Amino acid sequence: MKKTVDVSIPIGPMHPCWKEPIRLKCETIGERVLRTEVELGYMKKGIERIMRGRPWQEVMFLAERICGICSVIHNMVFIEAMEGISGIAVPPRAAYLRVVVNELDRMESHILANFSYCYTIEHETLAMYLLNVREIVLDQLERITGSRINTAYMIPGGVRFDITEEDAAALLAGLARVEEDVERYTRMFATSYLIALRSRGVGTMTREKAIEAHAVGPTGRASNVPECDLRLQHPTYQKLGFTPVCRTEGDNFARNMVRFDEVMQSISLIRQCIGQLPEGPIRGGGACTAGEITYQGEAPRGELTYYIKSDEYGRIIDITVRTPSIMNIEACTHHMINDVTSVADVTSTFISSDPCVACTER
Amino acid sequence: MSESIIWYLREFLRTEWIRKFLLAKTDPLVTPPYFKDYPTLTGKECTACYQCMMICPAPGAIAVLRHDDGWRPEIYPGHCIRCGLCVEACPEDVLQSGRVLEAQHRDRTGFRATFHLSIDREICMRCGNCCISCPVGREGEPDGAVLKIEKGGVQILNSDLCTGCKTCEVNCPNRGIRVARVVEGVQEAAA
Repeated sequence: MKKTVDVSIPIGPMHPCWKEPIRLKCETIGERVLRTEVELGYMKKGIERIMRGRPWQEVMFLAERICGICSVIHNMVFIEAMEGISGIAVPPRAAYLRVVVNELDRMESHILANFSYCYTIEHETLAMYLLNVREIVLDQLERITGSRINTAYMIPGGVRFDITEEDAAALLAGLARVEEDVERYTRMFATSYLIALRSRGVGTMTREKAIEAHAVGPTGRASNVPECDLRLQHPTYQKLGFTPVCRTEGDNFARNMVRFDEVMQSISLIRQCIGQLPEGPIRGGGACTAGEITYQGEAPRGELTYYIKSDEYGRIIDITVRTPSIMNIEACTHHMINDVTSVADVTSTFISSDPCVACTER
Repeated sequence: MSESIIWYLREFLRTEWIRKFLLAKTDPLVTPPYFKDYPTLTGKECTACYQCMMICPAPGAIAVLRHDDGWRPEIYPGHCIRCGLCVEACPEDVLQSGRVLEAQHRDRTGFRATFHLSIDREICMRCGNCCISCPVGREGEPDGAVLKIEKGGVQILNSDLCTGCKTCEVNCPNRGIRVARVVEGVQEAAA
């Protein structure tokens, strides 16, 4: 038999660069990696099965626990899907507060993803700086909701707590600190020659390939697919005049820069929300009823879909979750890690697509 | 290249960084007042209405128990997920956690719930655990019970007395009895 590759190198499931267990099998010739294959299945939780037969006040906590990084958006999409089933209207103040908390969550998720990339390319200084900034963002989340990660802030027909004048002032002060720091770190990232050597032109994915692989989120937007941002279809974001961040290079550098730019965009969205926050109630009431819906929202990593079927008392009969990372992992292994120059670039390219394995396997 | 070096020099010669380098100090480890910790008792009297048990999303996290000096909710920290829903649901302000109680009084928010009992006759093996465990109507009046074994099966006598506490559901060996809790988050209009 003809030998086509030298060595098949496994990376993972336990690897210092991975946040979560996943395995990549790299087929190499010398140092060059020709193909990779991904192997999932190390952390299946079966959370959709646990959700069945439960009412919203139990499922919303389970939905948050699908992912430990982007927990707010899971809560938001689930609750908005239940509202869609039952025809519950949200008061405008609550809708704006949801955007504030969601954007804070997006900021901390993007900063963590960029930390992870910097750590993978061994730029530990910037990685440590970014984790420090993330703490400020988490403090703001805690100030509004009472918890840092699993916030449980949204309920059908509104949100749980209102925001006071002092909280809003403290939030804006915290955001000013984050903005100053992230601006500096973005410039550090963009101008550093060492980072450019590891990032620019590595793992390039064109717009055609991105559309073919259905890449979503910052991974898609870095390959010039701005229409994949589902915030364009969300009514509150439409009111805020949202336009997605987009870059054309499609390499590791672009993916990280898209995330840095989205952090800055989130800051301006939160400022806009706090500035335009309407007076009024934060809860409108309304009971969940029977129905069936497929609802999508934009998670920090891309398109998140919930299919829900509920009974007459609002209990979940059937639920299916599709998370963004599965598309991004496939796009990464098929179109980005394709004839890369070294095994070290495989880990950094894979991390640059921000894979969330906990979401993917649920 | 020169641009990059200038950036790095500027980065490390910032006064803030030099000050931090010389006078590095860890922030004091204090819990902020807005942190939602495990619910604690405020000292007000519990009326055993079981609203906290009704809304609790975590199995086995809260139980309203009778002590010598009256009823009291007890939190099991290993099971509690610190969501603060019991604090919001309690009509007597018995529990508190972080700023939840304060925010609830300020915003005049709360929950409204209705309950629907259903028994799956095919699964029910008529053991009577649900009737025995149900905490409603235990004090004297036999007519005030929600469930009773009658005519060879569990009968729902007074479904309007149900408090939705899920005790029957938890104690059923086969999950034959189900309590549907339809909860709405409501807010009173500002006075």
